[in-house]
Amino acid sequence: MTDLLEIDDLKVRFPVGGGFLSSLGVGPAPSIEAVAGVSLRVKHGETYAIVGESGSGKTTLARAVAGLLTAQEGSIRFQGVELRGLPESQFRPLRRHMAMMFQDPVGSLSPRLTIKYLITEPYRIQGLKDRDLETEARRLLDMVGLSAEFAARYPYQLSGGQARRVGVARALALDPKLILADEPTAGLDVSVQGELLNLLSDLRDRLGVAMMVITHNLNVVRHIADRVGIMYLGRLVEEGPTETVFANPKHPYTLALLAANPEPDPDAVLDRIELKGEPPSLLSRPAACEFHTRCPFVQDNCAVDTPAWQAVEPDHHHRCHWPRS
Amino acid sequence: MAGPLLDIRNLSVHYRTPRGDIKALRQVNLAIPPGQIVGVVGESGCGKSTLISAVLRLMSPNARVAEGRIGFKDQDLLVLSEARMRALRGKEISIVFQDPMQAHNPVLTIGRQMADIQYRDGTSEPEKRRRAAAMLGQVGIPDPELRLDQYPHEFSGGMRQRIAIAMALMARPALLIADEPTTALDATLEVQVIHKLKALQADYGCSILFISHHLGVIAELCDEVVVMYAGEVVEQGSVRDLFHAPQHPYTRRLLECDPGRIKERTRTLPTIPGEVPDLAALPRGCVFRERCTDAIERCATEHPAWRTLSDGHHAACHVAGQAADTKQ
Amino acid sequence: MAAIEQTSGSHGELREILGHVVREPLGLAGLIIVSLIVLSAVFADWIVPYDPIALNIKDRLQGPSAAHWLGADQLGRDTLSRVIMGGRVALQVALPTIAGAMTIGLTLGMIAGFGPRWLDNLILLLFDTVRSFPTVMFALAVVALVGPSLETVVLVIMATSAPTYGRVSRTQTLQLKNSEFLLAERAMGASTPRILLVHLLPNVLGPLAVLAAMDIPTVVGLEAGLSFLGMGVRPPTPSWGSLLNDGYTLIRNTPWLIIAGGIPLILTTLGFTFLGETLRDVIDPKLRARKGER
Repeated sequence: MTDLLEIDDLKVRFPVGGGFLSSLGVGPAPSIEAVAGVSLRVKHGETYAIVGESGSGKTTLARAVAGLLTAQEGSIRFQGVELRGLPESQFRPLRRHMAMMFQDPVGSLSPRLTIKYLITEPYRIQGLKDRDLETEARRLLDMVGLSAEFAARYPYQLSGGQARRVGVARALALDPKLILADEPTAGLDVSVQGELLNLLSDLRDRLGVAMMVITHNLNVVRHIADRVGIMYLGRLVEEGPTETVFANPKHPYTLALLAANPEPDPDAVLDRIELKGEPPSLLSRPAACEFHTRCPFVQDNCAVDTPAWQAVEPDHHHRCHWPRS
Repeated sequence: MAGPLLDIRNLSVHYRTPRGDIKALRQVNLAIPPGQIVGVVGESGCGKSTLISAVLRLMSPNARVAEGRIGFKDQDLLVLSEARMRALRGKEISIVFQDPMQAHNPVLTIGRQMADIQYRDGTSEPEKRRRAAAMLGQVGIPDPELRLDQYPHEFSGGMRQRIAIAMALMARPALLIADEPTTALDATLEVQVIHKLKALQADYGCSILFISHHLGVIAELCDEVVVMYAGEVVEQGSVRDLFHAPQHPYTRRLLECDPGRIKERTRTLPTIPGEVPDLAALPRGCVFRERCTDAIERCATEHPAWRTLSDGHHAACHVAGQAADTKQ
Repeated sequence: MAAIEQTSGSHGELREILGHVVREPLGLAGLIIVSLIVLSAVFADWIVPYDPIALNIKDRLQGPSAAHWLGADQLGRDTLSRVIMGGRVALQVALPTIAGAMTIGLTLGMIAGFGPRWLDNLILLLFDTVRSFPTVMFALAVVALVGPSLETVVLVIMATSAPTYGRVSRTQTLQLKNSEFLLAERAMGASTPRILLVHLLPNVLGPLAVLAAMDIPTVVGLEAGLSFLGMGVRPPTPSWGSLLNDGYTLIRNTPWLIIAGGIPLILTTLGFTFLGETLRDVIDPKLRARKGER
């Protein structure tokens, strides 16, 4: 059986300011590989979280899936249909089943339109003339826990949490099969983050929608994701069921991420793994294991041999010569 | 020097708007002892930014100090002349902002900028450069001499924030204000910056006013914590008192909410239902009453006074100390 | 279809913007002056005390009196009536000119900002070429070819000021092109016309409206200047420019004509500039939110 979303060996490259020659089309145009061969599956109704820090390529990956960026290699199949290279006219009907939420809760809402217009826009775009927009607006607002009076407001009149709920309402308008959520808790206060995560898991259970959540916030992952993939420099370095990865991380980078999350307890004793230096530039990727320049457990062969994608358990994989135990 | 370095007493700041006055800070009391790191926690709209701008006297034109004093080394900052205040900023009080990308002048080299901020010292150029390099080394920038000649865009975000800290500490200020300095950074870099900050504070012996909404960072870094809600300080205490025995219901709810604290995957995360009250039309009584599960009748009519619960632990709540220990 | 549903919202927004304008002293002053000018132009036929082109030789070069509040010119025509009618002519030139320039500039500017790079470069080249002609020289050349008329003045000023609107529209479009809300629209499958008309246009229109308000006095001044040179509105049609010209030649006989022609020009400039500046501060909803809520 095919999974809802199947990504295979996906590569997304961006041209970077080349020299004079490459601007004339002579010689190879320099480029960076923001997504450098990612393969993953999102099953029906499942929440898959992609975790990584800035520059890991996680947002690029989500945008490539949504067709906002062109992927140069690999394949993205959604409900069995290849999306890569699909013209917008054929992509549009599929967008009914795939919604995306962007990072900035207020900034991702068109500033001069009312909330009612914004949340019913998917019906207009898909040309669903039979829907009563008034009723739909009320239904959607109710679903995300906003009162009907919000319909007449403008985005700038909302708090971050309210704007985020509007974003969720709009994503749900067409009962999608998959929601791509880029940093759903970004810019929200702690108490509001909880509310939003509750809302998302509640909707997922009620509507059976699958989610691909892009985040750097491990707390988000712990509470809503069924499976998690850890990204570093455009590649997955570890993937597995959330509980397994959190309890038994294999890749040193995963370990460092987990440890870098300060505890809200002054007496917490942390066996913290502090990483050396800064993330390398995508223009000069380290050889072999790309994490070896910052890895606290680096061995001789890490700079020489490229580690393979290997399984610890059938559904728990990592890319490390010296996995933690 | 006896007594606190920064001693804010009874500070109220209002903003004039067409809708009426927004009472952004109301009777705020906050003291920072010399050599201590005091964290301020609170959510959007709690008045953190107004507090900083009041201490630096860099308030927006429609802001007005309604009452109170800001004591700093036995002088009241609110009545200092603009010239004296300018002399103080950057020298005795300096600040590190949230966004490391906008903290530096993009067209000057880091070395130039670090030499420029030493204009008060009257030392020679090579000496200023030597000091700048030493400072960069201290915040953990490799090859500091070489990197002095680079421009801000040649540094990563984490490095820029460390450079901002280096520049803020250059004049050996008595007070460093850090306004969410790690919010824009990735977790692994956040840890680096916090450790650096803590180490530097120990070396320099300055006080730090550390603003953050990240409870984990506050717990790790601070000696003392102040909790703000809707323009008021609702609780202040040592970091252990506050995290282990929070007394104000808001503090307790806030700690419960922090997803970082909840290790088990739960069906429903705790939240604080309701909204922050409108600061232009404040309710009578306690500001937190409408969202408070411990509220009693008195909370609706009488504004709770600032009470001392135990040595160094204060809260503004009628029920604090009595209804305590329901948690922890 | 989309536009219709928006109107209810835009109405509220318009009222809100007006509310903010009225609260600023400068904005209120601008609004009052502009309303007076517009109203007197619209109802000119009813409020003029005399026929502005009727000759009355016995009153010629009179100073202000109960009969002629602003006196009369060398042909005995009532100056007040000519000033009021001149205002109508000024707006008759300014409004269509600016509306036209704005439409052309907006269309080309948005295409340049949103379209491919080569098209952007082509349109920019066009803008710069047109802008490099000095308006007055260009107008003189065209008038010399086809003869002076209101239509010629309108067309010439329209063509030469369109690039300014085009530049602003293009910059605005470029700024918003990669904003998250447009990305969100694309992710929902919104078509290019929808993105341009429903989402981009309302955001580009704000700054353009400000520009237009500030531009009206310029166009009024240009019209007056061309009429002063005898290249614009043809006599006997009254125009502030021809009033100035008459006043200039007759300044030894009476100062009233030049004052009567100059003051409305100054008032127009001040009124529209006050209004434009206030609008600029008020029109950005984010700016407004910050002003109101801190």
